[in-house]
Amino acid sequence: MKIVTTVKRVTDPDMKVKIKPDGTGIVTDGVEYRMNYFDEYGVEEAIRLKQEHGGEIVVVSVGADASTKEIRTALAMGADRGILVETDEELDSDAVARVLAEVIKEEAPDIVLMGKQSVDTDRNQAGQMLAAYLGYPQATFAFELKVADGWATVGREVDGGTSTKRVKLPAIVTADLRLNEPRYASLPGIIKAKRKKIDRKTPGDLGVDTANRVNVLQYEAPETRAAGQIVESVDELIEKLRTEAKAL
Amino acid sequence: MADFFNPTEEHKQLREMVRSFAEREVAPQAEEHDRAERFNVDLFRRLGSELGLLGVTVPLEFGGSGMDATAAVIVHEELAAADPGFCLAYLAHSMLFVNNLAVNGNDDQRQRILPGACDGTLIGGMCMSEPNAGTDVLAMGTVAREDGDHFVLDGQKMWITNGAISDSELGDVFLVYAKQEERSSRALSLFLVEKGTPGFSLGQKIHNKLGMRASTTAELVFDGVRVPKENLVSAPGGAVKSMMRNLAIERVTLAAMSLGIARRSIEIMNDYARDRAAFGQPLNRFGQIQRHIAESYAEYMAGRAYTYQVASQLSLDAFGNRLDSDGVKLYCSTMGKNVADRAIQVLGGYGYVGEYQVERLWRDAKLLEIGGGTIEAHHKNMTRDLSGLDKLL
Repeated sequence: MKIVTTVKRVTDPDMKVKIKPDGTGIVTDGVEYRMNYFDEYGVEEAIRLKQEHGGEIVVVSVGADASTKEIRTALAMGADRGILVETDEELDSDAVARVLAEVIKEEAPDIVLMGKQSVDTDRNQAGQMLAAYLGYPQATFAFELKVADGWATVGREVDGGTSTKRVKLPAIVTADLRLNEPRYASLPGIIKAKRKKIDRKTPGDLGVDTANRVNVLQYEAPETRAAGQIVESVDELIEKLRTEAKAL
Repeated sequence: MADFFNPTEEHKQLREMVRSFAEREVAPQAEEHDRAERFNVDLFRRLGSELGLLGVTVPLEFGGSGMDATAAVIVHEELAAADPGFCLAYLAHSMLFVNNLAVNGNDDQRQRILPGACDGTLIGGMCMSEPNAGTDVLAMGTVAREDGDHFVLDGQKMWITNGAISDSELGDVFLVYAKQEERSSRALSLFLVEKGTPGFSLGQKIHNKLGMRASTTAELVFDGVRVPKENLVSAPGGAVKSMMRNLAIERVTLAAMSLGIARRSIEIMNDYARDRAAFGQPLNRFGQIQRHIAESYAEYMAGRAYTYQVASQLSLDAFGNRLDSDGVKLYCSTMGKNVADRAIQVLGGYGYVGEYQVERLWRDAKLLEIGGGTIEAHHKNMTRDLSGLDKLL
């Protein structure tokens, strides 16, 4: 079984985000980066699928040269080889999906495992768009995955509950948090990863024009929350909800 | 991507892996195990079976990870930032036992013991100090008498980290320093002694320690313990060299533990001083508080630079690094204690209670001025080594 899994280098979601004074982006000086949490679940699931079915895991990242670190982490966890599609541009989800589609066409995997969204921009689009560009079936928000006889059975977390979907392989599956518990990259794994291969390409090599179709005009911080108030009576509460909060 | 504290990409990844494990798995259990004076054996075994950290410096062929002194420093720094007591158990096993045997043992001993010690099946320690011999190590009274194809060990060992893994159960395997034949001799030999050998027993698990309570400390008793000759490590009477070699990495990693304690203390006081207000301003606007924070950071970074510089020069199988391996521990142990002390001061009443961690870090930090060489032993060693020098290069 051949598995492609994707990883994105993201700003650490635990840090405090600061927006540049001119609103063109966030301040990246002194910022820590890490692998998108949801992608860790995808990589872990790929390793478990390989343990069960055998095969090869190819880990793909689209991003700057520094993304090799996130690829190496996936290799240290147990993936077999890496592909970096190198670009210093900030791509929108659509461009990422079109780049990935070309990689998938070359690699021809049985299944593609991705995080359901990245924790930096939280757009939740790349997996779905990738499925559309490839004409593959998709099963998003997976909390359970079983593969047999050329089909994947995917338990999905949806609004109001769960659902089960069967998709014919090859397919795109995006991982939710309860899919598994990602392993740590062990020290022997880190050392082995050093000898694993990472191929480098550019979007140009793949014939993809990455000009963004969605452009970010301005970053703004949400309004800071006003302090709470203690009211004396229900009547006063209703009055304030009506006049100040305009919630009624 | 590499920098002074993470000289290769592998070092950087190692640090991130250990930090992530330490924050998610080690830090949450620290207070409970400190209070209960209990060693978290299950979590400890995971360092081997899941992360491959127990044999960080051991060659790959014996089940280790084959990394260098800097890697060992990184692991200790990161684990100690979460739980110094737990980290001390790691140090006693991975440096004092595992690294010691990896460097000083023969292939048969290494093949027999190291794979199990690297994957966490065996928990080990090292026995040097005695009830009446600490800094004056050559005053030790444990003797090994040759008897046919065995040595017979008699004596007691004190302050042995991992000597017990619970109130009543011995650790699995130990490296024991003893004099051959007579007590007056200055020649030491080193023996592998395994749990279950008749005459080898747990004297007592030591209770009511000030700090490092998440690791166990024990007195071990050797009463006519018959050790087969194949358990003699390195040449008979030649263990002083083995000891010196291993003391260097021991002291550098103990210094790394102080760095972890200092980092965590600085993070805690910095956060608190930013959030807590007094007289209408955050605490960190006051000069007295600024002095605590700024001096702590500068001293921490100075200790960190010294430690990583020494680690980068430390070859695990050489000896003769005593001046600076003592030097980093001398500087960092007191620095770590002082930084934890300032953190308590910045937090005031909150610093004095368990919830904010710094009181535990302070208690743990104090041990590092005593264990693995008292600061007075470092003064003695360093002055002796320096007395032979005319100029510093």
